[in-house]
Amino acid sequence: MTAERTDITATLRDNAEVAEALSRRYGAGFITDIETDSLPAGLNEDIVRALSALKEEPAWMTEWRLDAYRHWLTMPMPHWAKLKIAPIDFQAISYYAAPKNRPKSLDDVDPKLIEAYDKLGVPLHERARLAGVAVDAVFDSVSVGTTFRKELAEAGVIFCSMSEAIKEHPELVREYLGTVVPTGDNYFAALNSAVFSDGSFVFIPKGVRCPMELSTYFRINAGHTGQFERTLIIAEDGASVSYLEGCTAPMRDENQLHAAVVELVTLEKASIKYSTVQNWYPGDENGVGGIYNFVTKRGDCRGDDSKISWTQVETGSAVTWKYPSCVLRGDRSVGEFYSVALTNNMQQADTGTKMVHVGKDTRSKIISKGISAGRSSNAYRGLVKVEKGAEGARNYTQCDSLLIGKRCGAHTYPYMEVKNPSAIVEHEATTSKISDDQMFYCRSRGLDEENAVSMIVDGFCKQVFRELPMEFAVEAKKLLEVSLEGAVG
Amino acid sequence: MTSPFVDAFAEYGPGAQAVLPGSGQAWLDQARRAQLDAFVHDGLPGPRNEAWKYTALRALAQRAFQSGDGGALTREVDPEILQLRGVDGPRLVFVHGVFRPDLSHLDKLADGLSLQPLSQALVNDAEPLRFLLTRGWDRPADAFARLNAALAGDGMVLRVAEGMRIDAPVHLVHVGTPTENDLAWHARNLVELGEAASLHLVEHHVGTAAHRNLSTQMGDIVLRANAELEWTVLQEAGEGAVLMRREGLRLEAGAKARLHALELGGGTVRHELEAELRGNGARLDTRGVFVPCARQHLETRLDIRHMAKNTSSDALWRGVADQRGRGVFHGAITVAEGADGADAALSNKNLLLSPHAEIDTQPVLEIYADEVMASHGATVGQLDETALFYLRSRGLSVKQARTLLTAAFCRAALTDMDGSSLREDLEARIQARLPGDETAA
Repeated sequence: MTAERTDITATLRDNAEVAEALSRRYGAGFITDIETDSLPAGLNEDIVRALSALKEEPAWMTEWRLDAYRHWLTMPMPHWAKLKIAPIDFQAISYYAAPKNRPKSLDDVDPKLIEAYDKLGVPLHERARLAGVAVDAVFDSVSVGTTFRKELAEAGVIFCSMSEAIKEHPELVREYLGTVVPTGDNYFAALNSAVFSDGSFVFIPKGVRCPMELSTYFRINAGHTGQFERTLIIAEDGASVSYLEGCTAPMRDENQLHAAVVELVTLEKASIKYSTVQNWYPGDENGVGGIYNFVTKRGDCRGDDSKISWTQVETGSAVTWKYPSCVLRGDRSVGEFYSVALTNNMQQADTGTKMVHVGKDTRSKIISKGISAGRSSNAYRGLVKVEKGAEGARNYTQCDSLLIGKRCGAHTYPYMEVKNPSAIVEHEATTSKISDDQMFYCRSRGLDEENAVSMIVDGFCKQVFRELPMEFAVEAKKLLEVSLEGAVG
Repeated sequence: MTSPFVDAFAEYGPGAQAVLPGSGQAWLDQARRAQLDAFVHDGLPGPRNEAWKYTALRALAQRAFQSGDGGALTREVDPEILQLRGVDGPRLVFVHGVFRPDLSHLDKLADGLSLQPLSQALVNDAEPLRFLLTRGWDRPADAFARLNAALAGDGMVLRVAEGMRIDAPVHLVHVGTPTENDLAWHARNLVELGEAASLHLVEHHVGTAAHRNLSTQMGDIVLRANAELEWTVLQEAGEGAVLMRREGLRLEAGAKARLHALELGGGTVRHELEAELRGNGARLDTRGVFVPCARQHLETRLDIRHMAKNTSSDALWRGVADQRGRGVFHGAITVAEGADGADAALSNKNLLLSPHAEIDTQPVLEIYADEVMASHGATVGQLDETALFYLRSRGLSVKQARTLLTAAFCRAALTDMDGSSLREDLEARIQARLPGDETAA
């Protein structure tokens, strides 16, 4: 490498704009000042009962929660991931915080809340209509309003909050809840099962193609609260849906816990596309505060020829620890995972996927792009498992990591377990920094450093971004630019 | 953690230690005792231990082994099985971890080469070995390293003086044979290449017949600045044998090491290579083939650490699993903070030939520096149908075509090996191991 090229990198580091961008604050970090109704901090069986009672749940649900809670008590907090996590005091967390004036309809929604969502750019009202996106917004712990309810109902689609679903469609909830992620699946799933406050419920009946993209927006607002949402999406035979999820949180000094569970079920020939743009507060540049994002996401391709596709753009959270997975049970079912994970400053991400091939001729594809900057640590961890009976299973995995800076880490831990001789499993991974040649080329074409980096990173992530629905792709790209600009050098 | 396996060592270990070469030296006795205590305390790693995820020790834990073989000096070994084509330099032979002068050739040593059994070195002058022999292991995952540190009394001590190039390959052979009782034996090898020295080391593990003995083998290999090591490992342990090997390889500035490893024999075999590229410009190439058949369980673990600037490593490993065989591969590359200019690549390709065979592969990258080129790839699959078709269209039978392609697949790991007669010998041994053709019928 020539001295001249090294200079480019050095210039990048010294650039004043870069320094400015480095100190840019978290854009979504405002606190909305509305009264909330919360349970006292702490966790015991009474809290679980109180939570269940507050939500006017039937007895079977209360019991289900208590079973999960008792199971959780017997489990140790897992430590296998390469993460530095300050001990979490589960007794200091308030497990329920609802905006006090419970809205009856969208028009009753607290204008301050609407304002908050406006700041976040959630297309809740007219904007929703324009964008053609039905939104279920979860504020702290309860769902505040679901737009487009009527239009969806005409198509036979049920899209409501989980609490409503428990009241209005208990038979569906009972049939499917906890069948993909059992209550005792892991430590945080057990905790979530015990104390989940709300979330989205989607049911697409036989043969229906959901007429619009569904969307949820999550926001943690109150201090000392955890957000434990539970999402369940069921696509019956031949049904299909695209679901989007966005997340933000205000800036706070303490670490807040977000432990969600998402369960997807596809029956024969059904398909679910689940997209996430996660921008929880990542903490400041010294790693103070930020969200612990410990999420269990799993899809179960139960029917033949069904498909589940996960797309995620992870830019926020102090610690992200999640592995959206697919269990490919049905013959010829397809699982996909597209991910961009960006970490900056002191952020840590340990994310990836699991593809479990059970049915014949099942296929899975994994594209993971990790970008680490600052002093962050970014790990891909994935499992591809081909069971004995998974005749003709096929997997392709590609994980690329981009390093920006001297003090960050990028890691790749793929596991491949193959028990069927007709399976083909392939994994490729690379790690490198933005090459000086690429930079030089872009600069010679008149781009400044910032734009050159942004363009190169954009190209690096393209395979994933093109999987995102339009509105989200734009948001994700912007989000990445903002998060990244500050990191160049 | 008690089990018949651990209990046997707890009971007979101290007695075996008392008669080990070198016992009576306070520092050595103390180190050996401490490691035995640590082993007995923690026992064998369980299935939840990440490093042992794919190698279950449950069955082994139920077996008790006798420590050390009193009859090692008189066991019958056919000298024919020690022969390797193209390897006719000095030879050290150990039977059950005990040096056998009758089978070894140490007479015409080249200038600058010092070669002796550890048992002798411990008696003559143990002090220079103190640093390596007092190393302790603190993780329960290191159970077999602990056992080895506690109970190994013999092995090879090899030194090449500064600037000396040794032409004839040094042949190290460890032999296991059937015994009346299940036997545990241990060996410790120490190799040091001085500055700018070079050597070809051929390590050969051989079993005279099927047996169920356990062996642990540890090696420390140090390459001083600009030293070069050509290292060939042929593992043909007896059918059913349990073999736990671990080598620590240290490369100083500009040093180069190249490993070709064939994992063919044994019952449950695990080979760990922990390589540290500590000096600027050090380079490590590893190539290997593992061919688990029958009920064999063959695990290879590479842990390659780039710790200095402009270091490079390249790993190319091939696995073929047939019948009820299970191949496990773990290939980790770590680039430490500040190790700029590191260039690391790893590839592991596997063929799965039977519905009862299994391949578990896990390439790992841990990167803490940014001026880095690192990549890894792993695949599990079958022979290329179009290649098979092509060969059949040229008149080969299905069986011939498959055998030819499988052999070519394995041979990729040996292509860059110097010394054609040894390479041909190794290729023939792989060929002999490769499955016939149950699947084609």
